Amino acid sequence: MSLALAARDVVVELGGKRILDGVSFEVGRGEFAALCGPNGGGKTTFLRAALGLVPLARGEIEVLGSLPGSAGAGVGYLPQAKAFSAAFPARVVDVIVAARRGSWPFRVGAAEREHARAVLARVGGERLIDSELRGLSGGELQRVFLARALVADPALLLLDEPTAGVDERGRTEFLELLEAIAARDDLAAVLVTHNASAVRRLANRAVYLDRTLRAWGPPGEVLDREWEPAGAFSGHDHDAPKDARCEDA
Amino acid sequence: MGELADLVVAPLGQGFVRRALGAGLALGTAGALLGVFVVQRGLGLVSDGLAHATFGGLALGLLLGATPDRAIWVALPFTVAVALAIQQLRRRTTLGGDVATGVFFAVSFAAGVLFLGLRAAHAAPVNVEALLFGSLLAVSPEALAVTSLVSALVVALLLGVGPRLAYATFDPELARLAGVRVAALESLLLATTALVVVVGVKTVGVVLVSAFVVIPAATAQLLGRTLGTIVVLAVAASLASTALGLFASYHLNVAPGATIILTLGALFFLALLLRRR
Repeated sequence: MSLALAARDVVVELGGKRILDGVSFEVGRGEFAALCGPNGGGKTTFLRAALGLVPLARGEIEVLGSLPGSAGAGVGYLPQAKAFSAAFPARVVDVIVAARRGSWPFRVGAAEREHARAVLARVGGERLIDSELRGLSGGELQRVFLARALVADPALLLLDEPTAGVDERGRTEFLELLEAIAARDDLAAVLVTHNASAVRRLANRAVYLDRTLRAWGPPGEVLDREWEPAGAFSGHDHDAPKDARCEDA
Repeated sequence: MGELADLVVAPLGQGFVRRALGAGLALGTAGALLGVFVVQRGLGLVSDGLAHATFGGLALGLLLGATPDRAIWVALPFTVAVALAIQQLRRRTTLGGDVATGVFFAVSFAAGVLFLGLRAAHAAPVNVEALLFGSLLAVSPEALAVTSLVSALVVALLLGVGPRLAYATFDPELARLAGVRVAALESLLLATTALVVVVGVKTVGVVLVSAFVVIPAATAQLLGRTLGTIVVLAVAASLASTALGLFASYHLNVAPGATIILTLGALFFLALLLRRR
């Protein structure tokens, strides 16, 4: 089976601190992998390294057969922290068209608008097309960012906590949405999540990351293991976060 | 119609008014276009800082023996260097753009005062008031040509990199992932702002030039819903204010820099009343 993503002995250091230490795992084409682990365990950093936003101190990550950052439109990314400027005059349609063009549209043509509408329809966000980004709820924003991740028909999706900041009902809907997208058998994904039901429903494989790779296997096996408190590894023993592992929610 | 002829046509019969209008419109276009990006990035104060750096640059030019008209060729590299230094300070330290600007602002201005003081006693006196408040009605054909050239350059540049610069302004990380060279574009924006500010100081002066960059964009941002609309509104506000302010200054016999910027200010407050909620 050819690979969507292959991490080999990945070491990442940021500000003199080792965030990832010798992490190796593979995600096949069409496979959904869930990335679990405590806060600060390096999940987001791993995604950012796979995107080429963070340099590797050692090892390599192969993304769709290329180096990080060079697989281009083949990779769709849904960031956890939405870092866009709230003052910027952005409508949903502009965001989708920008993702397609790689630059901001001063004017949106009819064909581009139609394409944006079709992409939004895939995530149930059609009615948002003319909304201003800054007025959207957390759940609506996630939909729009999922649509922009899908805009170029990627072969690999990197999703960083797609249900964070989304209310209970929205979360269920969003998981159904991801399930429908996952059903497309040629699409692979790496999904960072604290939500165990998301892992069970969506993932073919789960990875437990806490600076090093602690486990990698079928979701049930990884989830059912007795994880020691995150504090044992990160140094915050007494307030090990409730979401320190993939919890059943 | 007779009144209109008196108000508009009569002034335009004079060469210096035509040159002032040409320089004002050129500067207004460039300032408004750049301003949209500068204001969106929260760099409004930087244009003000660069205007003060220009004072230092012009004073250095005069110290080196240049005529007031030619001192601009010293001020230009000087101010671009200050712009890039501000950018480096923002990127490499935890100091914000406002602090970096504040430091260079004061140091350049003080250096300017020093440079003017160091000039030989027999050197021609410098009209500091013209430096601070500009002399739009005294624009020479040469200065008009330089202003028009700079304006054309800014328009061409933004036609080329505007969409990528806008993407980087919206979200630098997503832009970077799309292959946009975010840091290089930001340096280019600051250097171009320095260029426009230097040329603008010659016409509307150190104190008022940043208004040409900041106010039209701020006005348009209150009214426009898309970046395209904001660009059009900013340029329109700038051109209308320049023309109106210039004719008002002619008839009231006051400095045009002041009337143009007061007109821009009036439009801004009108936009504030009309703004979409």
